[in-house]
Amino acid sequence: MTINTQKIEKTLGGLKFAVILLILFALLMIVGTFCESYYGTDFANRVIYKTWFFMLLQFGMFISIIFAAFLRLPPKKRLYGFYTIHAGLILIGMGSFMTYYAGVDGSIVLPPNSPSREVILSDDIIKMRFENDGRVVTYKLPYTSFGTDIDEEYEDIKLRRYLPFADKKFKWLEAKESYPNTEPIHSTQYFLKNAFVTQDLTLSLHPEAIDFESNATLGPLTVHYLPSSLAKCFAKDNPSKLILWDKQEESCFTPEEKEISIQKTKEGNRFLVYQKENIYFSFFPDMSPWPLDEKMQVIRGGSLRIFSKKLFEDSPNLFLFGTATSWFDKDEGTWNYQNFATGKKEDKTVILPWMGLEVTMLDHKERKVPGLVPTEVLPIQKNNEMIKGQTRALELEVQNKKYWVTNDTPVQLLIDGRKVVFYLEKESLTLPFEFVLTKFKMEKDPGTNRPASYESFVRLFTSEGTQNHHIYMNNPLKHMGFTFYQASYSQDRQGNYISTLSVNVDPGRPFKYAGSLMLVFGSMWHYFLNYRKRKKKNITPLVPGVEDDIQKA
Amino acid sequence: MKNRMTLFVTLFLTLQSSLILLAPSAYAEIEQTYFCDDKLGDTPIRQGGRVKPLYVHAVDMMKYLTGKKGYENLSAVQTYCLLSLKGMSLKSDIKLAARVDHVEAQEYFDLPEGQKTILFDDLIERIRDLQIETRRIKEETAYKKAMTKLLNQTGLYQEIIQGNNWLLPAVTGNRTDWIPITSFLREDKILEAKANQAQSPFQKVIFDEVERFDKITDAPYHLEYKYAKARLPIIAMMITFLALITLTIFKKFTATLILAGITIALQLALITIRVLISGRAPITNMYETVMFSGFGALFLSMLIGHFKKEKAFIYVGLMFNACTLMMMNFATGMLSDAISPLVPVLRDNFWLSTHVTTIILSYGALALSWIMANTVLIKSSFGKLTKADEVYYSDLIYTILKYGTIMLGAGIILGGVWADYSWGRFWGWDPKETWSLIAFVIYMAILHGRYTNWIPNSRFIPLVAGAFMSIMMAWFGVNYILASGLHSYGFSEGGAIFLGSFFLAQTLIIIITTLKSNLSKTVVQAHE
Repeated sequence: MTINTQKIEKTLGGLKFAVILLILFALLMIVGTFCESYYGTDFANRVIYKTWFFMLLQFGMFISIIFAAFLRLPPKKRLYGFYTIHAGLILIGMGSFMTYYAGVDGSIVLPPNSPSREVILSDDIIKMRFENDGRVVTYKLPYTSFGTDIDEEYEDIKLRRYLPFADKKFKWLEAKESYPNTEPIHSTQYFLKNAFVTQDLTLSLHPEAIDFESNATLGPLTVHYLPSSLAKCFAKDNPSKLILWDKQEESCFTPEEKEISIQKTKEGNRFLVYQKENIYFSFFPDMSPWPLDEKMQVIRGGSLRIFSKKLFEDSPNLFLFGTATSWFDKDEGTWNYQNFATGKKEDKTVILPWMGLEVTMLDHKERKVPGLVPTEVLPIQKNNEMIKGQTRALELEVQNKKYWVTNDTPVQLLIDGRKVVFYLEKESLTLPFEFVLTKFKMEKDPGTNRPASYESFVRLFTSEGTQNHHIYMNNPLKHMGFTFYQASYSQDRQGNYISTLSVNVDPGRPFKYAGSLMLVFGSMWHYFLNYRKRKKKNITPLVPGVEDDIQKA
Repeated sequence: MKNRMTLFVTLFLTLQSSLILLAPSAYAEIEQTYFCDDKLGDTPIRQGGRVKPLYVHAVDMMKYLTGKKGYENLSAVQTYCLLSLKGMSLKSDIKLAARVDHVEAQEYFDLPEGQKTILFDDLIERIRDLQIETRRIKEETAYKKAMTKLLNQTGLYQEIIQGNNWLLPAVTGNRTDWIPITSFLREDKILEAKANQAQSPFQKVIFDEVERFDKITDAPYHLEYKYAKARLPIIAMMITFLALITLTIFKKFTATLILAGITIALQLALITIRVLISGRAPITNMYETVMFSGFGALFLSMLIGHFKKEKAFIYVGLMFNACTLMMMNFATGMLSDAISPLVPVLRDNFWLSTHVTTIILSYGALALSWIMANTVLIKSSFGKLTKADEVYYSDLIYTILKYGTIMLGAGIILGGVWADYSWGRFWGWDPKETWSLIAFVIYMAILHGRYTNWIPNSRFIPLVAGAFMSIMMAWFGVNYILASGLHSYGFSEGGAIFLGSFFLAQTLIIIITTLKSNLSKTVVQAHE
């Protein structure tokens, strides 16, 4: 038994074990740096630096260092430096463990003049907020580098799959609910281009298409996506340029077709009266799409509305009806109409009168839902910015239906009549005091836009009252065990500076510092104790010219 | 035999560098130069966030635009001046051309076979197409990089010929505004100077303003002008070569010692002047770290050589110094000698001068071990080394290795303390710090193996020679290979080619010498 223990001690404290660990350590770090270069800092941390096997390796080195020192006891003078080095390394190891175990490393974002106390940490969590009773349930997501299945359940909510790095990819999905056949729920993908811009554009009328809208603005151009049943009325070149639309029946007609006369008020405003099922609806088409009832009250939410093409002649407006399009050509003074779906390939592209703009119909679906679905990818980082895989996503299953929650779009669900909101966020920590950024100062290198320094002036609200502090590069603020450093800054839409401070609690700090000192001075001591003068006899010089000199010496 | 080889190589390099110094201006084509002469080189300009002499700025601009320092018979200052005057409708026949090195870009411009340049005037005409083509390339390819560079060059060229790049001081009281040459040379001022019968009214207007500026400024641009003109790196390089030659041919050591001393003095002057110009520790970019490591290594080798009474140290010190000076003088694409403002986070002279200096000195010291290990390897394969020699030299290598590794360790720790002090974390697995730790771990493994006699000399010496590759990776690789990231591995990058060839050459040396080596394969009880 004793022999066995000794053997283990000898192996663990032995040089071979140490060198193998060192080589493994170096190899993993090499892989880590290349991973970081290709896939980004977060991925490298998740795949190498903060994994259990890398930690285990470091623990192994720790053990090796302890045993190597242990084996060389009782103390010998020659080894004093050696003991100091190894004790220093042990201290550094302990300090690092304390930092890992009890430390805080996060950041706090401070918009101007709005108090904050939330420190954002690095772990991902899913937060479920039950709106009826205000309950908030959080679950910490695994710190993995690849997609991971989770088997967790909370009430009726199942957490299924977590993707730490994903991109949203376009997909046509089946609708989750059912809709009457008459309801316009179609969606279309277009491609717009001219010499300066190219743009993919997906427009949808489907209520489940939360990632897409039914209109878009591209510079001066406004794009309207309308139900396809309206298209045939746009094709008619009726002189009044008015179209009536009955949403209930999904039909449209022109005043000319129904022989409705268009009159003018004293002020010169056009109006018309339409009779449907013995109810009279009056319209002022150039003022409002909604009809007025007999008491001249606006009827909103009814199924009837009017559309005056005249209102869309002044600025560039493009009307898309799925497989057809219409626009006004100001130079020609005419309304144009074209169908994309004539079967001929060249008709899928229409040339518009605005700076050589062309619109092409790529795909059209009557009932399917266009969606951006998180798909797992390997992330890519460039110039310190993630250009691929920025999305984190979690798949939920509620009542046999699946939903994706991502870090930029929370999901709201009604579960048995209760509203529940799901957020995918970073774990956060609430500071015991409040912070406000009162001023942010940035100096630039003269004549350039490059920042030379940035500084935050903050006010702390503590139980003892308020304190003002000035935080800048290399001048952190220490308060209640927390240390705040000027980390970076950003700008909001109005151009106001938002300051980001990194927040840090490090209980291992004194150990690491003491260990470092012991390591450096221990090495010097070691070589000093082991210094021995060499004898130099009959040595061939490396440089031939100085041969004689050496012989003399 | 080896002796003579070294001599030839050194002679060749010395000759080459003197040729570069003495290269005459062969053509005299541009005759109309208005008032543009080299005297203007010592006037101030504010560009890139600081005040510098026009000479330095003009050379930078010319190198960036054309890769050359001048145009035909004109100096950089003259060319820059004449180009700027185009903004005031003063015509000149300068036809500056950009280099087009990328094959796809050559095809895009339909350049005839063998032509690798395109006139900036043509580029301006085609700028719209160029923009569209550049935007069309979605992936970050070398082609896109080349096109983007051409776009940037064209933009800069346009700025220059519109007269907007040449900013001159306009002094009012204690305040200086920097205004473009086109609004600086106002008609009334010129007429006034003419009335005073100035020989060159334009120059008089400029120099009068410079005089006013000099009274209120402490920007050391005159010093920088003299520094740039003195070309100390070339002189230091030639003296280092001379020192190496005297070391090989003279039996007396004094000449070498004096020359090495002069080199040290010159490099010290070089470093001091850069500190005076930039106002910070001279170790903030690749050029400066290379400069400082060469200087540090030579200084360290002379120090150790003195105390250990061993001239082999001087030899390795001079050799490494020669390497760094050659890089500084010839690898200008990879190492830019421009002085530019620092990013905010590095603006701390205390930490710069402790942490970075320690690290760079350790690189220098480890470079000494690298050169000595390679020399021993080559000598043992192609020359003759006895067993005693081998033991003796691996002991010398071990000595330098100890100094280098302790400094590297101390430097890494100082870096950690700086990071902790200014970002709140001791260690963050940043590639630069990780690679320095990788290098440290590799040297640690070698030192442990050697200390316990686990590694015999036959393995110790090639290991030390090879281990320096990790230092090169930490020093250059992180910036030239890792920082460029995915998709931009294009071999157009000078740094990547340099490192690649270095790794290849070092690996080849190790393989060849291992095959031929007569180093003992057994453990030699040397130092215990």
